[in-house]
Amino acid sequence: MGEKLGKKWEIRFHGRGGQGAVTASKILAEAAYLSGFEAQSIPFFGAERRGAPVMAFTRVSYEAIHERSQVYTPDYVIVLDPIILDAVDVFRGLKDGGSIVINTVKSPMDFQFEQGSLLVATVDATGIAIKNNLLVAGTPVVNMPMLGAFLKIFSHIELETLEEVVMKKFGKNGKANVAAVREAYESTVVEKVRGSGKPSTEDVRRKRAVTMPVSTPSPGVAGRTRFWRDFRPEVDYDVCSNCLSCWLHCPESAIQRVGSRIEIDYEFCKGCLVCSAVCPKKAIRVSREVVV
Amino acid sequence: MKSNTTRAVRIITGNQAAALAAKNAKVRVVAAYPITPATPVVEELSKMVETGEMKAHFILVESEHSAMAACIGASAAGSRTFTATSSHGLAYMHELLHYATNARTPVVMAVANRAIGPGWNIWADLSDSISQRDTGWMQFYCSDNQEIYDTIIMAYRIAEHRDVLLPAMVCYDGFVLSHTAMPIEITDVNDFIDEYHPVWRLDFDEPSTHGNILPPDYFMELRREVCEAHERALKVMKEVEREFYEYSGRLTPLILEEYRLEDADVAMVTMGAISSEAKIAVDELRKRGVKAGLLRLKAFRPFPKQEVVEKLGSVEKVYVFDRSVSPGFDGQLFSELKAVLWDLRSPPEVYGRIVGLGGRDVTSRVFEKAVLGELDKKWVMEVIY
Ligand code: SF4
Ligand code: SF4
Repeated sequence: MGEKLGKKWEIRFHGRGGQGAVTASKILAEAAYLSGFEAQSIPFFGAERRGAPVMAFTRVSYEAIHERSQVYTPDYVIVLDPIILDAVDVFRGLKDGGSIVINTVKSPMDFQFEQGSLLVATVDATGIAIKNNLLVAGTPVVNMPMLGAFLKIFSHIELETLEEVVMKKFGKNGKANVAAVREAYESTVVEKVRGSGKPSTEDVRRKRAVTMPVSTPSPGVAGRTRFWRDFRPEVDYDVCSNCLSCWLHCPESAIQRVGSRIEIDYEFCKGCLVCSAVCPKKAIRVSREVVV
Repeated sequence: MKSNTTRAVRIITGNQAAALAAKNAKVRVVAAYPITPATPVVEELSKMVETGEMKAHFILVESEHSAMAACIGASAAGSRTFTATSSHGLAYMHELLHYATNARTPVVMAVANRAIGPGWNIWADLSDSISQRDTGWMQFYCSDNQEIYDTIIMAYRIAEHRDVLLPAMVCYDGFVLSHTAMPIEITDVNDFIDEYHPVWRLDFDEPSTHGNILPPDYFMELRREVCEAHERALKVMKEVEREFYEYSGRLTPLILEEYRLEDADVAMVTMGAISSEAKIAVDELRKRGVKAGLLRLKAFRPFPKQEVVEKLGSVEKVYVFDRSVSPGFDGQLFSELKAVLWDLRSPPEVYGRIVGLGGRDVTSRVFEKAVLGELDKKWVMEVIY
């Protein structure tokens, strides 16, 4: 293994709470370990709730891993959710010449970034998850097909090793997950894509000085939470009695009183469906959010 | 400000001085729970509120934890707030002491220092407040009753200063000061301290959330700001000390007090009531030809690093006396002193002595003997008279 000394790969997962990014990072670490590597899986716990952006990291190495920090300059990025591209800079810190796997129906050439060039892999993991009936509470769980897609560009773990771990992890759902892994592996499109090659200088994120732990109300303190939404609540005004129960209970204050009726602000509605649950008139219809 | 003060000398206990200071400092909310030896402060205040002599709300609570919670709430709502406690009561407040700091609520609290049990003991020992050292509260240690009165009043001016916004403890030895009566001047401070004008407050008309979630990206900024406020407080303390001197004619130190230190070879370092006894020892030692001096720390937090280094820069030996101990290490003041003096190119020799725990009496002879090399053990167990 002499020439391999010091060789190590860092992988960053982006997803939304509930999509299984943390599970994916752990299963990848297990498959790496079974393949003879040292491995580590780190979840990043923010204030996430179902639907909020989350990250997880996996390190794979020939040698003992001493890092305990997060991954800032990954060799690989895995994006579980196409919607997240709007809200999070998934390319941030990704090494020039590195690779990114994106769950999308688009093709690799559709993505722009500041690196000189990247290996871009795309896969319709959502479609594959639906086809294989990998749904939890109606939401397609794409983490396993995304690992299948990842192995297309990461050759140090055998597909069979990953399948073995997946089988063990999912018990009676193992078969469906393994099928999805394989299907994703086979349908992933990989291309070398050129970027602008002009990284923006320095991180310009400015921090407000925090002197007093006081926050004044503003819509969407958690940011624009519209993209957290898997389900869309809609008020049927013919049935609504304007009792204001939903207005009172909405945790994001996304329901406003406008004139003599209530209105849902879809920029900030995160799709938790508390409003629908508390409505005494059953006036709030729920449908799947249409992803554009 | 003019110094047209109305002088009125009364012979009162430390606890009464604390209660009167709170009243005269225009405290508008008191939330407190009785505990020996701070109980008389609470009794005095409730009496004055009941008779209308003091215009304040007295919030009845069922514990010290609740007392501090109520103080934080009242302070956040824009009221000048006071409480008093001791020993186990202070320990029970611990969680909320941290809260008051990060919330930047300038509550002022009197602490009648007492040991913590078991080995039930109600007597003087600084362990209760010293073990709250890292809560972010400013801490002042008094050595007589006049100081208790003056310091509580000045503490509000410091705590509420825009550059500071930190809570403050004014500490004094249980019984030794809390129950000992001495003449003190009850200066009318009407023109020294105004009604409280908060920089920020909870307001029904402009709602805001207090103490919201602060993720890793921001929390460190908040903590650094608390630390910088402590540094700024030292400057504010100097200003308030001078202003109070001009107003009352009394130079009541807020940071430190020195006694015959200018040409000293040996310095004693103390806090609290035992400092008075140490002054007697300085005079005795000088009579015997030993060039001794005293440095009394009034402020333990913020710790006046620079000032201490300046004062002790040219002495040969330093004896630090702690009326508290950190089991597993040393007296806390001793540890801090060594850390600070380490900055000097050629630091003096520093020795630590543990004295007076749980109310064991400390006389001037203890200091004398220590400096003369007649007490070479860390623990001074005997009462020497
Ligand atoms: S689903 Fe309803 S309760 Fe939940 S955020 Fe949207 S509007 Fe508010
Ligand atoms: S809870 Fe239902 S009935 Fe009441 S205001 Fe909301 S939508 Fe209308």
